[in-house]
Amino acid sequence: MGNKKILIVDDDPDIRQGMNVRLKANHYDTFFAADAFSSMVEARKHEPDLIILDLGLPAGDGFIVMERLKKIPSLAVIPIIVISARDVRVNRERAVKAGAKAFLQKPVDDAELLAVIRQALGEPAQPPEKLEVYDA
Amino acid sequence: MKEKALQVLLVEDNAGDVRLLREMFSKEKPDSFELTHLLRMSEAEIHLAKGGVDIVLLDMGLPDGHGLDTVRRAHAVAPGIPMIVLTGLDDESLAADAMKEGAQDYLIKGQIENRALPRALRHAIERHRMQTETDLIRTHQMQFKDEFLSHVSHELRSPLSAIRQFVTILLDSLAGELNLEQREYLEIVLRNVKQLQSMISDLFEVTGVQAGKLRIELQCTSVCDAIVYTVNTLQGAATAKGITLSSDIECRLPSVCADPTRVRQILIILVDNAIKFTPANGAVKVQAHILEEDSNLLVLKVSDSGCGISSDLTERIFERLFQASDPALAGRKGLGLGLYICKELVTRQGGKIWAKSAPGQGAVFSLTFPIFSLPNLLAPALRKERRTEVPITLVVTEIGALTGWLSDEVRADRCREIRHLLQQCLHSDLDVLLPKMGFAGAVELIFIVATTDGIGGEAISKRIREQLDSCEHIQQAGLTLSTSYRSLEAIKRNASESMEDFLEKVATNIQELMNEEIASRMVKNG
Repeated sequence: MGNKKILIVDDDPDIRQGMNVRLKANHYDTFFAADAFSSMVEARKHEPDLIILDLGLPAGDGFIVMERLKKIPSLAVIPIIVISARDVRVNRERAVKAGAKAFLQKPVDDAELLAVIRQALGEPAQPPEKLEVYDA
Repeated sequence: MKEKALQVLLVEDNAGDVRLLREMFSKEKPDSFELTHLLRMSEAEIHLAKGGVDIVLLDMGLPDGHGLDTVRRAHAVAPGIPMIVLTGLDDESLAADAMKEGAQDYLIKGQIENRALPRALRHAIERHRMQTETDLIRTHQMQFKDEFLSHVSHELRSPLSAIRQFVTILLDSLAGELNLEQREYLEIVLRNVKQLQSMISDLFEVTGVQAGKLRIELQCTSVCDAIVYTVNTLQGAATAKGITLSSDIECRLPSVCADPTRVRQILIILVDNAIKFTPANGAVKVQAHILEEDSNLLVLKVSDSGCGISSDLTERIFERLFQASDPALAGRKGLGLGLYICKELVTRQGGKIWAKSAPGQGAVFSLTFPIFSLPNLLAPALRKERRTEVPITLVVTEIGALTGWLSDEVRADRCREIRHLLQQCLHSDLDVLLPKMGFAGAVELIFIVATTDGIGGEAISKRIREQLDSCEHIQQAGLTLSTSYRSLEAIKRNASESMEDFLEKVATNIQELMNEEIASRMVKNG
């Protein structure tokens, strides 16, 4: 069975690169988009198993992307995880209403992100690749 | 350009005073003032409510209003209209009080010099205008400050996000193995990143507090769970500093009426602080018991063997931006927001927080929460005499079988919405929606106790289903919802029985039924 495909949508190249390293290490194939427009192009091209979506994007925000995805039957079923630096109080509810499976606040805890991804993909919950806790 | 005449409302019952004032106005340029004269406060209130008045001249001794009361009443109807009070010679101190209540100026009857009246009116209007403007600017500034803080914390999160990502990538050896020294340094980076992250969260939280956006959802909450969670979360930090972190909880502690996530948040702040201010080999302890002076309150205590707080500071530490003056004691400082947030959160859940300490003797932070009481919740629906002998129906709404269902937070959001919907199904004073009854896991139960006048459980159950079915996105979330109902036999109130005893009896019956229900569902859902 091939690796699951994840589309990472974030306008910050550093975040995309970091996410790429983390997801590759967990055997996911990654694709990228940096704005609302190219996220639709990439989603059509690769039909990913999951989309990780930032809210603040050029050319229309994450909510617009979710709206557009929902209009295309083949893409409407793709689970979406929203990751944003925006105020969780306002945006979690809005994101979930718009169809997101989860809302994670930046900076994201990697173990949590991986757990949420596995759940969204219907994969068995595995221990994160390393179980050490770094809390001082 | 011709100026519009100023609309003056004179409220005065003394004919002599009215005549004098009218004379003064008559000496002014025609069309500069237009005088409306009323005798009573009640008439003035009606007139003011209609609008169109530029300034009020108010006597403080009217047939239907006296002293400061007249000022308050006028101010209540028309807060945006400047006011001058008319007073007697011996009442100057009263007039000064009137100005504190919102009057712009006062004139002493019989002492109004020629030409002083129009000047006083114009000054009062101008002063009022400036005051309004200042208030407006202040409001805008506060708004700007909140928006600014919110914006800054947002912008700080993105770069911090990238830092954290790559530090953990390195620490997890995803870019090659690290030597011990490299690992140690990176762990220091990560610790500091987390510190920054929590400061940013504090900033967000505080702007929320100020904008009234704080969300608190009271429910039946176990304090023990919150303590266990906190101790588990911070045990690592305590051990790393050589501090013993322990808890001492009375067994069979009652639940409290509070927001569980907020209780955890408060405890984390307090215990984290205690660890910060306690030197190596010290101890931090969390305790909980019923308050001796008031058995309706549960008290939580976080005590440490740290540097303590001088007695003059035990109140000030809860102020916003307060910080220990000696940074050597606390190591690195935070933003000085933690205790302020604690106080806001505790107060808004109906509790109190205070600190007791002496320098060098450690500190004890105590906070209270109201104990969860079924009789108190039922009281409004059962208080009335006629309802002390009705059958009670318990409608149970279950949210469960969460296919494709993700984080706890999303589930909590859905439950909140469903709860809100249920609230709308209630018949104001006949039904009681009980808070979630301490049932965690994949299934959430929400109970409604209905003391209906013969509507019956079936009807309410149907009403609830209709509400829930009409909510599309709840359906889409892959939730299953079910409602069912059970009836309690009519519970009689004996003639000799006090209302309190009766409520207690009903509550016990309901509690038993709910326990049965929870137990049967736990079996069913594994």
